Amino acid sequence: MALTRLRLQDFRNLDRQDLQVPPEGFALIGDNAQGKSNLLEAVYYLETFRSFRGAADRELVAFGETVFRVQADLGREGGEGEVRSVSAAYDRSSRRKKVMVDSREVSRIGDGLGRLGAVIFSPEDVALISEGPGGRRRFLDILLSLNDPGYLEHLQRFRHALQARNALLKQGPGGGDLVAWDELLTRHGAEVLSRRMRWAIQYAPLFRGHYGAVSGGEEAWMEYRCTAGPNPSAPRAEDGNAPSPSAPPVQELTRRFREALDAAWERDRQRGWTTVGPHRDDLYMGMGEPGETTSLRSFGSGGQRRTAALALRLVEGECLRRSRDRRPMILMDDVFAELDEGRSQRLLELLEGPGLGQALITAPKDSEIRLRRDTLPRWRIRYGRVES
Amino acid sequence: MSAIEDVVRELSRLPGIGPKTATRLTHSLMRGPKEECLRLARALTSLAERIRPCAQCGNFGEEELCSICRDPDRDAALLCVVEGAFEVASIEGTGQFPGRFHVLGGRLSPLDGVGPDELNVASLLARIRDSNDAVREVILATSPSVEGEATAVYLEGVIRPLGPKVTRLARGIPMGSDLEYVDGSTLVEALAGRREM
Ligand SMILES: [Zn+2]
Repeated sequence: MALTRLRLQDFRNLDRQDLQVPPEGFALIGDNAQGKSNLLEAVYYLETFRSFRGAADRELVAFGETVFRVQADLGREGGEGEVRSVSAAYDRSSRRKKVMVDSREVSRIGDGLGRLGAVIFSPEDVALISEGPGGRRRFLDILLSLNDPGYLEHLQRFRHALQARNALLKQGPGGGDLVAWDELLTRHGAEVLSRRMRWAIQYAPLFRGHYGAVSGGEEAWMEYRCTAGPNPSAPRAEDGNAPSPSAPPVQELTRRFREALDAAWERDRQRGWTTVGPHRDDLYMGMGEPGETTSLRSFGSGGQRRTAALALRLVEGECLRRSRDRRPMILMDDVFAELDEGRSQRLLELLEGPGLGQALITAPKDSEIRLRRDTLPRWRIRYGRVES
Repeated sequence: MSAIEDVVRELSRLPGIGPKTATRLTHSLMRGPKEECLRLARALTSLAERIRPCAQCGNFGEEELCSICRDPDRDAALLCVVEGAFEVASIEGTGQFPGRFHVLGGRLSPLDGVGPDELNVASLLARIRDSNDAVREVILATSPSVEGEATAVYLEGVIRPLGPKVTRLARGIPMGSDLEYVDGSTLVEALAGRREM
């Protein structure tokens, strides 16, 4: 999809504005703290209805105001499920969020997800690699909620059952209903596991490829690591004739999850929470040959981690393109500033291909606009006001 | 507190009625003939005084046993378990269910401190046991929410050893919705398409 018009009202420091967006996108130039990232945050809010920087909705409302609103008109590309407009508003006083698709309010936020078809690249993405598994699980959860129908419903039900089970564990022994909650937990948890594993297996080669391409020939790999169930090992490069790994069937995962819960029972009861399951897993990233335990998180250099984060976003873009049959809109928040010249150049080659759609990118100076340097119209931003 | 404020406050306690609607209703009552207001008051008084939960199924009635439990033509082999008396009314509204009911009075929700002991589970099991195999099928018509599903899974575990077949409503009902909001024809379909758990 392509943004044709963007209307903003009291989102962070951004002025109330009504912007006509060209089909190719724009390059937004401005000094720090003028609102460049906020503008991309506002646009991407319409994809997931939450801040990509992890800010709470109330923090997105401009100082002294109670309601923010972001509205986008979209141009069609002929893909499936395209819509003409999507908008979101949040009222800080009532803590109510209103999401509209094609001018009709959606009954559940989940029904409005992913209408832009956008991927956002940000310098903060490096935290995906350098911090704990929570961020990578969140990455998977958002990506699969956007691209795998049914995932979000199972995830929400899994979390709900998990809360109930933890409440029972805290209450101590005597709950005959724990078995029932375990059943719900494993039923939905196995669906979550299965979809995450399938995704990791399907996209592992692409991650390797993108990492190699951007780094200039270095090796890195990813695999999904379960706390409750089997761990499929990542394919080895030289194992040409080994069967390609596949995720176990859901019934198998359900059974193994239940076994893991039984095995962890004493510990769970003592701690008062569930210590195994999809909520404890990791999308593990390693360097070198697959299986070698040189974790990118612990041993990667700054440049290697940034490269892995970029590779992950590129994979996300490809996943979006395949699952929704459209060219992803690319949002890039001053990404090249953090990369050395070689990596910048090789990333650029990957991004300049025809597979990507409209581009909204930011940089502090015109000279730092690298992507589509010759074609993107230049916009400027000062004190939250865009001059197009 | 004035009489007006009193009524507004009481009305706005009702589900789906905010202070604005409550005020509008109160003013409408005041504008109308006095007799209308008193009639409403008398109806509410008799509701409070005469209605009580049925000693057998938990449904609302005016006697020891509700009208469904007293009806000898109801099929004693079919027992439909629901969360609240409201669902009894919805299913009765379809006119398609020949059996009897059991009202749980809620659903399992550890976060709200609701376990099996807080629901009418013991009375349900006693009722099945005391029926001497007259109850052949128990239909679990709890909501498709996570709590409703967990309640059904739990009940299935404790009912099956007692003998009857245990079935669950078909999935015609959207996930996450309450039976309260499901229309009659969807309910009939869900009942007709019930499957053994
Ligand atoms: Zn009764």
